[in-house]
Amino acid sequence: MIRYALWRLLQGIPVLVVVATLTFALLRFLPGGPFEREKALPPEILRNIEARYHLDESLPRQYLRYLADLARGDLGPSYKYVGRNVTQILGEALPVSIKLGAVAFALTCVFGVGMGLFAGVRRGTALDRVLMLLALLGVSVPSFVLGAVLVLGVGLGLGWLPAALWEGPLYVLLPAITLAALPTAYVAQLTRASVVEVIDLDHVRTARAKGLPERVVQLRHVLRNALLGVVTYFGPLLAVLLTGSFVVEQIFAIPGIGRFFVTAVTNRDYPLVMGVTLLYAGLVVFANIAVDLLYGWLDPRIRLGGPER
Amino acid sequence: MLKARYGVGALLALALWGCSPSSLRAPPGELRINLGTEPPTLDWALATDNVSFLVIEQLMQGLTRLGPDLRAEPALAEHWEVSADGRTYLFHLRKGVRWSDGAPLQAQQFVYAWRRLLAPATAAEYAYFLFPVAGARAYNAGQLHDANGIGVRALDAHTLEVRLEAPLVYFPALTTFMVTFPARADLIEKYGDAWTEAGNLVSLGPFRLEEWRHEYRLVLRANEDFYGGRPSLDRITGYMVGEESTALVLFEQGILDLVRLPPLEIRRYRERPSYRRKPALRGYYYGFNTGLAPFDDARVRRAFAMAIDRAEFPKLLQGGELPAAYWIPPGMPHHNPAIGVRFDPAGARRLLKQAGIDPAALPPVRVVYNTEQVHRLVAELVQAQWQEHLGVRVELENREWKVFLKELTVSPPPVYRLGWGADFPDPDNFMNLFTSYSANNHTGWANPSYDRLVEQAAREPDRARRQALYDEAQRILCEQDVPIAPLFVSAINLVVAERVKGFEPNPMDIFFFERVRAE
Repeated sequence: MIRYALWRLLQGIPVLVVVATLTFALLRFLPGGPFEREKALPPEILRNIEARYHLDESLPRQYLRYLADLARGDLGPSYKYVGRNVTQILGEALPVSIKLGAVAFALTCVFGVGMGLFAGVRRGTALDRVLMLLALLGVSVPSFVLGAVLVLGVGLGLGWLPAALWEGPLYVLLPAITLAALPTAYVAQLTRASVVEVIDLDHVRTARAKGLPERVVQLRHVLRNALLGVVTYFGPLLAVLLTGSFVVEQIFAIPGIGRFFVTAVTNRDYPLVMGVTLLYAGLVVFANIAVDLLYGWLDPRIRLGGPER
Repeated sequence: MLKARYGVGALLALALWGCSPSSLRAPPGELRINLGTEPPTLDWALATDNVSFLVIEQLMQGLTRLGPDLRAEPALAEHWEVSADGRTYLFHLRKGVRWSDGAPLQAQQFVYAWRRLLAPATAAEYAYFLFPVAGARAYNAGQLHDANGIGVRALDAHTLEVRLEAPLVYFPALTTFMVTFPARADLIEKYGDAWTEAGNLVSLGPFRLEEWRHEYRLVLRANEDFYGGRPSLDRITGYMVGEESTALVLFEQGILDLVRLPPLEIRRYRERPSYRRKPALRGYYYGFNTGLAPFDDARVRRAFAMAIDRAEFPKLLQGGELPAAYWIPPGMPHHNPAIGVRFDPAGARRLLKQAGIDPAALPPVRVVYNTEQVHRLVAELVQAQWQEHLGVRVELENREWKVFLKELTVSPPPVYRLGWGADFPDPDNFMNLFTSYSANNHTGWANPSYDRLVEQAAREPDRARRQALYDEAQRILCEQDVPIAPLFVSAINLVVAERVKGFEPNPMDIFFFERVRAE
């Protein structure tokens, strides 16, 4: 198992190199550079800036320089935030996003799977229809609408929770709900579909026939099998949630890294774009490995790392 | 069971209520403002944006500072003398001024700061603000290698001598700008890039930096030893709330005291005592690419400028915009409201006819703007007016900001929008934009008389003669050659909590908090 995990991690390295290469190329194709300003700069000043950031070198040379720095763990200086480097910027913002993302992920797991299971085992009842209507709403309402409604309704109107900012544990709730709404709804739909498929299978009927209590049947035999399909979605979802969201951070004024996915591109802050892209790619690789390991636990038929010894 | 459940729910609700955000309200003596975004840097040699400038203005001072009437007043320099030829300034520094770590202010700290700003390795975008200083441009371009060749030196600890390439009457206005502020060689060498972080940053203005949580919050504390007297406020906290409507919610809750109003909200706040409005030193204009037909003919450009009813802009945008056919905005010295073309559709059509243009046969005129709601509204209004008053077809195209800027430098579209905000309150800052050698002139227009008038005005000490020079230059720009059609002057729209006393916005959009109180 450990050998398998390590092997998969090693395989991730070429993936990251490909991502870095593509991002590097795409950024340079984008018209408009980092130092294009409303107040145009005199040519001698542009030359000084380009020299400082090695932008006066040929593209292949810049690319090799970037890869060499990357290999040493140096993500380079930010062009926008003068005097700070990308590692510092991500290092300060990532813990915030992880906190928010972890809460949102927990909400998604508990409510998404819970709603799906409830609806699935009570297929066709009024409860099923209500839950699935909720899920449909969750999938359809965009986060900027939900976020605004929560800020105005719960934050300003009712005054129950802080409308925005990032001062303590309570401040995580509204943004986490906004962030979790869509994946929760989607997971609920997925879970319900799998539960409905599994619930009439032979092994479930056998378990019932053995006289196991209904709760044990539902959790151990129905849910565990139904989760296989859902867990596949958890990998990329975890990466998405942990890297924050531009919309949610913007609405709730949260200092996470989600904002950089948008602002770094609009600023043409090449090193910062590369930094967030690589971070995201790394998380996707990592989360997918975690999901594969989870498969093995959920379904004993899946064996990792070749033939059994 | 059911009852117990409700009980838990009620308790939870109470617990949440107890932590309601009202406990976040600022105590007396603390002012909470919205910065909107993270200041990209607090290094005053490298900062170029308004947010950094706002913070640095509280932390630092220069040789001179802007007074409430936007005239350059003595600040770190107690007084100064200009030589008879207008080329040499002698600044006498105030004695007894100390940095927040107790070190005394010295003239050498200006020399170091200016050399650092101009050094090619610093790669400062705003190094060009000191290009009027002798040798500065050559040093920045790498043609002069010895920093001693730059025209700035310390005659003694409290006397700074500045030699200019040519006379420049507004030089004391330039030294109000942050890139000219003094700097500490010892600290910059000690901390490197991190010298601007809280704990490292040493300053000498009314406030000092206490905390800087990047992308979230910045706290300034009153400087007890400020030479101008301790400010009334104890603390200023600047949050970085990017979403303007969220900032407004926090204002409603009493968490933020000072917030910029998004255009759509102005209507709702206009009648409230918290509302503040001030015309800014910021012009909005349409530029013509004078190298492309039909705009290679001044008569056509004039006709297009005359066919815009500028009185419609404030009605459309509702942000207190001032319709403007002139270029030097009100509030700036040498502003002249009489300059500019008048709205005259019939005259405009006659001009087109004289130029031999048949509007119906003209291919659609392409207007390009950067993607933003306000710019789209303006473009649609101009489109409708040109179609109605001139009978030409107009096509609108929008671009992402950086793509737009690239296009302006590489191949400017026939008609494009841009704005300009003052860096310092002197008309030269606006007028030299359209000299033939300005990097900001994307129109392709070059008029030697205009260049000459602007250069002359920059070194003309006599107010009346300077006024005449700028009037003549503005007439060429806005009435005769019309490479640009100024449209309006933007305004600043703010809401300020009633507990805050003594705050007024000013046209430079600089926040002076020294005399502000928070109850």
